[in-house]
Amino acid sequence: MTDLKILIIDDEEAIRRFLRVTLAAQGYTVLEAASGNDGLSIAAAQKPDVIILDLGLPDIDGVMVTRMLREWTRIPIIILSVRGSEKDKIAALDAGADDYLTKPFGAGELLARIRAALRRSVQTPNEPVFVTGNLEIDLARRLVTLSGQEVQLTPNEYGLLRVLVNNAGKVLTHRHLLHEVWGVEYGEEFHLLHVNISNLRRKIESDPTRPQYIITEPGVGYRLKEI
Amino acid sequence: MQYNAVRVESYMLKALSRSIKSVRLEIGDWRGYALGIVLVALATLLGRLLVNLFAPANIMMFYLIGVTVTAITFGLIPSITASLFSVLAFDFFLVPPYFTFDVEDTQYVVTFVALFVVGVVISYLTMRIRQQTEISIRREHETATLYSLSRSLTITTGLDKTLQTIIQGARETFGRDTVILLPDGAGGTLKPYVETSDSAMNEEELTVICQSLQHQTMSGQGTAVISETGATCVPLKTSRGSVGIMVLKGLKPPKPWNQEQMQLMEVFADLAALVIEHNQLVEEARNAQILEATEKLQAALLSSISHDLRTPLVSVIGVLSSLQEEGINLDDASKSKLIQVAREQAEYLNHIITNLLDVSRVEAGVVKISRQFSDVQDLVGAALEQMSSRIRGRPVTVEIPIELPFISVDFGLIVQTLVNVLDNALKYSPDDSPIDIKGWQIGNEVNIEIADRGIGIPPADISHVFDKFYRLQRPNNIPGTGLGLYICKGIIEAHGGNIAARNRPGGGTIISIILPISAPIEGRKVL
Repeated sequence: MTDLKILIIDDEEAIRRFLRVTLAAQGYTVLEAASGNDGLSIAAAQKPDVIILDLGLPDIDGVMVTRMLREWTRIPIIILSVRGSEKDKIAALDAGADDYLTKPFGAGELLARIRAALRRSVQTPNEPVFVTGNLEIDLARRLVTLSGQEVQLTPNEYGLLRVLVNNAGKVLTHRHLLHEVWGVEYGEEFHLLHVNISNLRRKIESDPTRPQYIITEPGVGYRLKEI
Repeated sequence: MQYNAVRVESYMLKALSRSIKSVRLEIGDWRGYALGIVLVALATLLGRLLVNLFAPANIMMFYLIGVTVTAITFGLIPSITASLFSVLAFDFFLVPPYFTFDVEDTQYVVTFVALFVVGVVISYLTMRIRQQTEISIRREHETATLYSLSRSLTITTGLDKTLQTIIQGARETFGRDTVILLPDGAGGTLKPYVETSDSAMNEEELTVICQSLQHQTMSGQGTAVISETGATCVPLKTSRGSVGIMVLKGLKPPKPWNQEQMQLMEVFADLAALVIEHNQLVEEARNAQILEATEKLQAALLSSISHDLRTPLVSVIGVLSSLQEEGINLDDASKSKLIQVAREQAEYLNHIITNLLDVSRVEAGVVKISRQFSDVQDLVGAALEQMSSRIRGRPVTVEIPIELPFISVDFGLIVQTLVNVLDNALKYSPDDSPIDIKGWQIGNEVNIEIADRGIGIPPADISHVFDKFYRLQRPNNIPGTGLGLYICKGIIEAHGGNIAARNRPGGGTIISIILPISAPIEGRKVL
């Protein structure tokens, strides 16, 4: 885990200090920026491995920073937002951010998100078989099994699961999922998505009201949990 | 009442001065004179026929009849003219020598004077009777108008309807478009009370309005100020100053006001002013009450909040300072226990602040509901997920049928409502007792019930659990702000739903949330 660089873009000195101490203790090299512009130039100069970005910055808004970063880099971006700003959160995720944390958050949660983001960024995409808990998805053979039993899925359900698997651990917004599975013209057909998620859950979750694989991010989207 | 008495007196004075004025001015139209002349001619003709049978004094009566008829039909000046002609015709045709104005017998001069004087007196008296009748008719009309207005006013309540009744009354009485302009908000601009097609003002009317406002007097047609315009403006004056203006629009072709109408106009304006002033006073009183209630609430809020906020902070600061203090030697187990306490308290603090923010958002009406068709299972699942650390080992049962339709709600807000309800259920029930969640459909609504096996709610308090700052009095050691269920109520009601509490048979509480399903999304279906 050494030599991994994390850039924190946040104007709050207290939060930067908390993150600096916590992350440094984990062996990460911590870079800091107090504004969007500083963050953008440090990101370009230092090429960090993960960026932690606060949405409420004094100069450029965080969604804009995300967009500008995504013009040239795939560095994982984790958004920090306050509760109630779902719209900005979704905009940032749609702009290419990988994950989000709602303030206040615990260190454990943050470290888990960072690890997941790092894992995704080094993961080779042509891994054909994905396993989480009792669920096994063989992307090459289009085969889904739960505890060894084959699960019959409709093409759309399978499409959804495939997109979730390819982005395992990452929050996918409703709109993103609709675009990937149904196409851009279905970007507002949330009903379609929710119905298919419900059906998919009934097939792969042991208790659909307490799902362990497909996690709902209220008002934002869904995430496939890696167990 | 005194004011009314003064009004009546001034009205009578004006009526009197009008009658004197009309003595001088009522020239009448040409037909009056024509009638006079014709009647005089008829009397002369009749006189000539009967001149040998009747005494001249009796023949004179024919003329007096003619004068009286003229007076009754056309008024004073034509009938005086007729009297004059009568004297001349009588002299010329009926007093010997005939067909000359010469008079044989000088005693006829007395007859002439008598004929003329009697003619004038008859004319004057007839005119007075005519005028009295006219005044009575106008009075009766005025009384009838005011009576019907006051009758409609007594059965209307509220500024809106009352003003509309007055406007309607004015419209019917004066036969003109009537607009009442009132100040609009703080800007000081005047706006028509009821916006209609005819409430727009033209340049001329605006000039009159300005004049009227500036001088606080009646202006426009029929007044001394800009009388050449068609419209008339009456300021609505109260003891506390002007509250607006009443505009009676001009007619095409222009039609002059009579005195009675001018009087009535003022009565209408006074009524409107009174109604508006009354309404202002009522509103001020109500605002004062609301302000007082709000202040009390703020005070309660402040004391409750400052206590609730400080309590967790006391433990957080305490824990942190003992960890930092060099003299205190703590083993690892104690340290971790202390840290756990601090963390729980900090999280509780976060919970309070979240609730406070939500309350202000719900109350300010800034909570925007972005509806999405949501799976009730998913809603409950998301709420349970958020509460997972609190639920830990608790037995939780969820019974939601697969066929339960999706409901059109704001996902985040409903999850938050469920979290708040779950929070209460967990707080007010023993650590190992079950939480039961059920969902089912009733007609066009979905009912979600969350039941615990806790302490329940005293029957007297059932209706208050959703009140702001309401807290169950019995368990004193349970922390809370009394805001959670209040927020839930705000959110559910904003969705057009309903939330209620009841005691559970066998002990515990049931919170029931009813939400409308609302119409399904139309459009493409690719399943």
